[in-house]
Amino acid sequence: MNNSRISLAFKSFRQNRMAMICLWVLGLLYGLAIFADLISPYSYADEDRNFSYCPPTSIEFFDGPKIVPPFVYQKHLTFDAMHRRVFVVDRSQKYPLHFLRGGRLIQVDAPARLYLWGADARGRDLFSRICYGARISLSIGLIGVAISFIFGLLIGGMAGFYGGWIDGILMRVCEMFMMVPGFYLMLALRAAVPENFNSVQVYISVVLILALIGWASLARIIRGMTLSLRERDYVLAAKTFGVSDLGIICKHILPQTVSYSLATLMLSVSSYILAEAGLSMVGLGIQDPVPSWGNLLSNAMEIVPVIFAPWILLPGLFIFMAVMCFNVIGDALRDAFDPMFQD
Amino acid sequence: MIGLFLVQAQAASRYGGSLVEAVSSDPKTFNDIVSTDANSRVITSLLFEGLTTEDPFTLKVIPNLAKSWDVSPDGLRWVFHLRTDVRWFDGVFLSADDVVFTFNDLIYNPDIPSSCKDVLTIEGKPLTVEKIDDHTVRVILPVKFAPFLRAMGQSILPKHCLMKALRDKKFSFTWGIDTPVEQIIGTGPFQLSEYHPGERLVFKRNPHYWKKSKTQEQLPYLDKIVFLIIQDHQAQLLKFMDGELDAVGISGSDYPLLKPLEASRQFHIFEAGAAYDANFVVLNQNPRLNPKTHRPFLDAVKLSWFTNLSFRKALAHAIDKKKIIEILNNGLGLSQDGPMSPGSGFFYTPDVMTYDYDLKKAKEILKQAGFHLSPDGGTLKDPQGHPVEFNFYTANAASAGREAMSGIIRFDLERLGMKVNLVTVEFNTLVNKLMSSYDWDMVMIGLTGGVEPHFGQNVWASSGGLHLWNPRQKTPATLWEKRIDEIFNEGAQELDENKRKILYDEFQRIVAEKLPVIYTVLNMDMYAVRDKFGNLKPSVNGGAFHNIEEIYKK
Repeated sequence: MNNSRISLAFKSFRQNRMAMICLWVLGLLYGLAIFADLISPYSYADEDRNFSYCPPTSIEFFDGPKIVPPFVYQKHLTFDAMHRRVFVVDRSQKYPLHFLRGGRLIQVDAPARLYLWGADARGRDLFSRICYGARISLSIGLIGVAISFIFGLLIGGMAGFYGGWIDGILMRVCEMFMMVPGFYLMLALRAAVPENFNSVQVYISVVLILALIGWASLARIIRGMTLSLRERDYVLAAKTFGVSDLGIICKHILPQTVSYSLATLMLSVSSYILAEAGLSMVGLGIQDPVPSWGNLLSNAMEIVPVIFAPWILLPGLFIFMAVMCFNVIGDALRDAFDPMFQD
Repeated sequence: MIGLFLVQAQAASRYGGSLVEAVSSDPKTFNDIVSTDANSRVITSLLFEGLTTEDPFTLKVIPNLAKSWDVSPDGLRWVFHLRTDVRWFDGVFLSADDVVFTFNDLIYNPDIPSSCKDVLTIEGKPLTVEKIDDHTVRVILPVKFAPFLRAMGQSILPKHCLMKALRDKKFSFTWGIDTPVEQIIGTGPFQLSEYHPGERLVFKRNPHYWKKSKTQEQLPYLDKIVFLIIQDHQAQLLKFMDGELDAVGISGSDYPLLKPLEASRQFHIFEAGAAYDANFVVLNQNPRLNPKTHRPFLDAVKLSWFTNLSFRKALAHAIDKKKIIEILNNGLGLSQDGPMSPGSGFFYTPDVMTYDYDLKKAKEILKQAGFHLSPDGGTLKDPQGHPVEFNFYTANAASAGREAMSGIIRFDLERLGMKVNLVTVEFNTLVNKLMSSYDWDMVMIGLTGGVEPHFGQNVWASSGGLHLWNPRQKTPATLWEKRIDEIFNEGAQELDENKRKILYDEFQRIVAEKLPVIYTVLNMDMYAVRDKFGNLKPSVNGGAFHNIEEIYKK
């Protein structure tokens, strides 16, 4: 692969408007994750049970006709005759917004609470939890893909390069992994993880489980490409110069598959994000109180909260955005690297 | 005029129509002697009846298949007079042989894993059940046994249908769910007419049913009862709102969804009162060694915390019951401190030690017991300096509220400086931990209760298998456990209800004070039922349709 081809590909990618928009959106989402401590008004576990399912707080700019620095009102939870939650706004005191105080972008003084996107059952700020949840959901995809990518490349490369019985064994192993329906394999693997793991250990095990499921399909594709690449003249040349097998695979064969694998990589990140969300939503992934977009959504599996507090569906929107962005970018990358596509 | 009035009153109740309910899983068996799960019981309670039953409102024992009984002055010899008009579904009349067969050949048969053997065995001895004539049975007790009449609610099964299975030693597997429905023979108001596993059960009216209404009308009124098998409560709610179900049991959090729809969708929500099902936290206090590994089931350090009453009291003060009721039940619930529910009626006492939510008090109690916070204030350490960290197990899915409740409790325990790892496992895994592997620290689980305190003996007696915190003790580990054992023994033999109440009140006070289990909140039993039915009288003790034979379709 030469430099001119890469620059050509990037040029073509940049001309894809949709892909560029998605890149920006993804950048924004990763920004949320990285700067969660700054952006979110509360820590993810900060709860106030007096604000169970509190609707989004409205930020006031007007005091009568006068424009004043933004402030919010305190709310009180009551139940009506039908036992529905009713929040009564207490206008007796204004709570001004504080900017950049205590390491957080926006804050209000207790007892008032700032819920930009509403609260969950225990009065935790959904916006903060989505920001912190992005750390888990967006990183799990990347790390998981990176691990399965390394495995996929190496195993696929070896199988293709050596052929014969090595190929046979490796590919049968791949097929065994691909044969079992993904989600069920994931559940089975999760059941094998010790149940008293803390949140970091659960996170790592979820990443490994995802990686273990994902590498097989990548390995098969790389193997197919390697099979044809190993017959090329430059591989023969490298062999005659006495380059080691591993050297040939890593230096001369795998780089040729990068264009394809990069695109596949992007597409599989999205499926990893979905897999984590699925696992966490059924309560087997990341455990409360640590948020991930998946376990935030688990609350939305019941009718009553969705009807009375529809904002708890928001994490679903974030999953949708992230998955779509990775898909569009993956498609665009594949088009960009495909020589037939270039003018 | 009077004649006209009577005709009108009668016109109110009509024959025909059907009722569609939901049940959350398939029955495991139709064999009422071996069944242990609640769903099978829901089904078999329509098919089978006992000699006595409980009045759902006064909770007193009333006649059922036995029309009356006499008792000797010493309270040991009981003579039951059976009704002469009771017929099995196949037309054969009920006789004393069936009663004798049910007790002697089925319940006390050592080859049959009968679920009711324990309740009907008093101090290790069975009851002696004898036939006097075709419709009279004598029962002799080894010692006085106060809950005896209530225990006589045990279903009676037909001898003429089951004798062959018993002789072939196949009884334990008879009347499984693969049995043709017409072979399931009982005396109840309804008989099974169709069963489609995973889908639905259909019952048809028993035309020979013995009960008559006050106006001498043949009961039951309904032609058909359908149970749809719907596992997910959310799906049950949706089907009820769509009109596919005629009734659904609801929780406090469903109430605000359904209540505003009452008029427009023509149903009514019945609030029967506080449920029996307690939710509680329990700490492992099992000091024994695992016979396989020769190491203790529970780490000695943890054991020293959990057996420390102050530690348990601090925990009890860290449970925010008021907010749990608000968050999980929309305010429709009761906080619970003692082992019985107000739904149990007579034997319940509210006069027990209560624990308000007060983290300051909890910290104070821990401090006095020698626990202290690390210099940074984040970690609680015991008097020997071990950081307090343990696993907190709870079951997922089926017990929806408990998982959320555990999260709230964990948060407050962490505020006390404890490190609590909340672990959600399958319900069966949790039961296995509690009953056999004993490898747990703290568990949130629930047990159902009832009217008669003695039937909780397997939980409260120190030798009981469900004595969760330290099961199957040879001798009581503590003085108060010894006292509870005494109370249960005395209570079972005391025939004066008022004296029994004094005993069981003491038991409730001991449990609330010594906190072997730490109670949280009680749900309210509520049922949403479509307006088309008459004679509805829901009660906690029996649900929305305990008087199913009297219910008619308007």
